[in-house]
Amino acid sequence: MQFEKEVEIQVPREKVWNFIWDVDRFVACVPGCKEAKTIEAGKLYSATMIEKVGPFRVEFPTTIEVLEREDLTRIKAQASGADNKIGSRMKLSLDVKLREQGEKTVLGFVAGVDILGKLAALGHGIIKRKADQVLDEFAQAVKKHLEGDS
Amino acid sequence: MLRPFRLEEPESVKEVSELLGRFGESAKVYAGGTELLLAMKEGLVHYERLINVKNVKGLNELASDNGMVRIGALCTHRQLETSPLLQQKLAALVRLEQNVANVRVRQVGTLGGNLCFAEPHADPGILLLALGATMVAERASSKREIPAEEFFVDAYETCVEPDEVLTEIRVPVPARNSGVAYLKFGYLERPSVGVAVAFQVQESGRSIHDIKVAVGCAGPAPKRVPEAEEQLKGKSLDEATINISKAGEIAGRAAQAISDLHGSQEYKEHIVGVLLKRAFQNALSQYRAVQS
Repeated sequence: MQFEKEVEIQVPREKVWNFIWDVDRFVACVPGCKEAKTIEAGKLYSATMIEKVGPFRVEFPTTIEVLEREDLTRIKAQASGADNKIGSRMKLSLDVKLREQGEKTVLGFVAGVDILGKLAALGHGIIKRKADQVLDEFAQAVKKHLEGDS
Repeated sequence: MLRPFRLEEPESVKEVSELLGRFGESAKVYAGGTELLLAMKEGLVHYERLINVKNVKGLNELASDNGMVRIGALCTHRQLETSPLLQQKLAALVRLEQNVANVRVRQVGTLGGNLCFAEPHADPGILLLALGATMVAERASSKREIPAEEFFVDAYETCVEPDEVLTEIRVPVPARNSGVAYLKFGYLERPSVGVAVAFQVQESGRSIHDIKVAVGCAGPAPKRVPEAEEQLKGKSLDEATINISKAGEIAGRAAQAISDLHGSQEYKEHIVGVLLKRAFQNALSQYRAVQS
């Protein structure tokens, strides 16, 4: 499943860039993300992703690896995790781009999300919708957080 | 494999509600179990306690009074499809029930369980929306009526509170000058699109003065489509027949259709339009047959 999102943030690009690397503040914007830890600054992180659809709850201990980084412009990362209780795995690829637009910054990202295992029994459509909701909430939370600071 | 759980056997709604309140998310109401036990066997959910409500008296009764059919939440689909009372009062619901899943599921699956599990590809909620049904939810010390429009929140989510129990579904009996139909389309037993329409014609026979259109299965939860209803309300039967294509397009867009293995979003939106047109014609034929 591939998703493309873009959000305009009324703050300079440098501020957005610094925010992305501030793990605690950034994680607060990711719905269902808990216990984020830096394993190797700028390269490797861990976190737990918890999501719910009705009575179905998944908990993915996740490793996040930064693959590429161009200062103030682009981050490419991948994440993966498994919920052994319900026998499901999650894979995420993320390509984040920052673009200056006058005083504003456009934060765009392309996310590839794959859910494998029993959770897929819920149906592709339901999972896709949930992933889309999570990404929308994330984009709006980042905007709110940063614009609230300025 | 089904992991061990404790089975509670309360005998009253009050006891059920108290157990739900006491054990919170670690307990779940168990009625027919046709969906819950499958999800548990798959390991998708686990509850330490299942609260078997089948010993609660009065929850599987069917009655009719004051123009209202009262369906106990524990009535099985089979009970509904074979009920002479329902055949007489709510024939459209009987036809729907005859085509829910397969006879093994209908034999044990309950209407209340179906509604509360809120699986997106379920038939009954759609027709109940068009019929203007009300759900009754009870807890130890209170009871409330929930209009069908407010009952379904999202995929697998209803507005029933954690310590509430769905006890009854109240459905107004359609008047003699009404037409009601539900149609679905899908592969095997699981519908990918379901559409219901219910209308009432003025006594003079000139125009439609009340109409409800509901869609489901294509999106996360069944829903009414007031924008489509507006295209038909107050119109003569001939005008409504012309406007039904436009109403179908509107209903398709409003269905929040999701692309999946059953078809693309566009395909499902199109099917909603086709089904609404057919359902309306079907309901119209019934209305005319009764009038002649």
